[in-house]
Amino acid sequence: MQRIFQIDGEETECWLGHDGSRFVLNTPNGTVACQLDPTGLPGGYTLRAKGVVRELRLAVGPEATFVHMNGRTYEVGRVDPAERLAGSDGGTGDDRLVAPMPGVVVSVAVKPGDTVKEGQPLLVIESMKLETTLTAPRDGVVAEMPFAEGDSFGLKDILAQLAPEEE
Amino acid sequence: MTISKLLVANRGEIAARVLRTAKARGLATAVLSHVAEQEGPAHLIADEIVMIEGPTPVAAYLDIPQIVEAAKKIGADAVHPGYGFLSENAAFVAALEEAGVTFIGPTSETIDLMGDKVRARAFVEEHGFPVAPSAIEDDDPASFVERARTVGYPLLIKPSAGGGGKGMRIVREDSTLETEIETARREGVRYFGDGRLFVECYIERPRHIEVQVMGDGQGNVVHFWERECSIQRRFQKIIEETPSPALTPEQRDEICETAAGIARAVKYRGAGTVEFIYAQDGAFYFLEMNTRLQVEHPVTELVTGFDLVAEQLRVAAGEGLSAAQADIPQTGHSIELRICAEDATADFRPAIGDILLLDEPMGEGIRVDSGILDGGKVTTDFDPMLSKLIVHGPDRAQAIARARNAVQNYVILGVTTNTGYLDEILAHPDFASGDVSTGFLAEQSETLTAPGEDVSDLLMAAAALSDERLVSDVMQIPEMYRKMGGWRN
Repeated sequence: MQRIFQIDGEETECWLGHDGSRFVLNTPNGTVACQLDPTGLPGGYTLRAKGVVRELRLAVGPEATFVHMNGRTYEVGRVDPAERLAGSDGGTGDDRLVAPMPGVVVSVAVKPGDTVKEGQPLLVIESMKLETTLTAPRDGVVAEMPFAEGDSFGLKDILAQLAPEEE
Repeated sequence: MTISKLLVANRGEIAARVLRTAKARGLATAVLSHVAEQEGPAHLIADEIVMIEGPTPVAAYLDIPQIVEAAKKIGADAVHPGYGFLSENAAFVAALEEAGVTFIGPTSETIDLMGDKVRARAFVEEHGFPVAPSAIEDDDPASFVERARTVGYPLLIKPSAGGGGKGMRIVREDSTLETEIETARREGVRYFGDGRLFVECYIERPRHIEVQVMGDGQGNVVHFWERECSIQRRFQKIIEETPSPALTPEQRDEICETAAGIARAVKYRGAGTVEFIYAQDGAFYFLEMNTRLQVEHPVTELVTGFDLVAEQLRVAAGEGLSAAQADIPQTGHSIELRICAEDATADFRPAIGDILLLDEPMGEGIRVDSGILDGGKVTTDFDPMLSKLIVHGPDRAQAIARARNAVQNYVILGVTTNTGYLDEILAHPDFASGDVSTGFLAEQSETLTAPGEDVSDLLMAAAALSDERLVSDVMQIPEMYRKMGGWRN
């Protein structure tokens, strides 16, 4: 069974199987035999994988699994490949900037048709009294900038859309 | 006057913290809440919850007539404002006075004076306390450039109406002074609609050191030592500690006595904080006075053993100060970490989410002042600070070790927080040696947000094995196929 996991923005396709005595996770880096056993704590587990044993705390959210391990907290996005194919509208997550929270547009630096480089500022937003500059996720051409300076936007509104990449 | 029922006109961790002390002193207690608000620890402590309304939750907490009315309705004879919201609002104090309700804090006159940066500075200077050399254009516009010159270089030009670092310009050479003044004026007009300027001496690599004071309103003032607050992001503190690693015992006495002197000069009533800019050469200058309890007051409580909210309540009830200066110790070392819902790797962008699992650290020398509960939601309605982790140790090294251990064991799952980032700061050699300035986080941002050890295989294994649907799907596949790596349908 396949899953796509997303860690720090990077997607990895994995396949989980079972060899009769234990689970095996096939990743692009190789095969990992793994075992997860609950401890007494809320969300507490012992993970055995890659020859190491780790105590961790874990919570499964609707779209991501949160893991506290080695004193750090990680977020692992889960994508079901079947759902992704069904929901595809030609654009990928890479093509658009989605509002991380509601706010107001402070300034807009580009217009549709502009060619942009990865990391180039597209617009500045203000949320909770903090200004944030949003930058192009990749090289490309701006397709849409739905909001103008001074406009308010809601959570998950699309703030900038790049034209689909040509293959 | 006696106080028998206290309304806390605030929310989150500070409301809970104030309520705990009030209850321990035998007061009846009440706290405000807005319908959009999540249930928090304060709601579990207060005897009574008073609902307030407003177009936004924040607007409700700033609604003076509504809050005064709430206090009267429930028969509260005192209001504690916490920090933020109406805590430094002279009109609120006046409205409470008119309604016969005691405000836990200074007089409206003191709040007015200290709330006006220019007047406060002039007051402090007149009383012979150190302020940074400066020139204010409004004093005499014709001679502004000449007066700016006498401040000396480097200097900092600031818009009079400004804030948040906008329109500020550093000038290092006289030849560029006049053109920079013109540029700053244009920026002031653009950002604030006001081109008036002032300049002050620019302190290279400054530290932010502040002193906790407490006054009885009759001119008796004691200090509760200093706090070092140089670890700031976006001009906001995220780690505070006491004692400051920068001060010698002589400098400590000098800066603390200066703060107490300033508070004495205004016959300060209640808890306040005098903030200073501290230069690398040991000179320090008055920055401003905050006329309220600070977010970071717990570090002071842990080294002195005093409950500052209890002191505030004593003073407000006319019982005076509980201790003389000589009876206020500074024992061991304390550090506070502000736990915020934000992404330190993405310019501290505030994060939202549901708290799926919360497990706060406990143990000797560990205190958590929390505003969240397991199962709650983090929204953008309020400040991103969720809670404060405060530790105490016999010395600074042991306090740092304790803080690192505690923050590593602070489990908040479901919303991005800065716990890992705070631990990276504590682990930085410059933090360990105490060699920091207010620019530290910006200067070290790459080191502090560098990716850690790659544990992605472990994380994916944990995510896969905790995905119940995935595991059950796998177990339903006939065994002969299950075993085949890379099996596809």
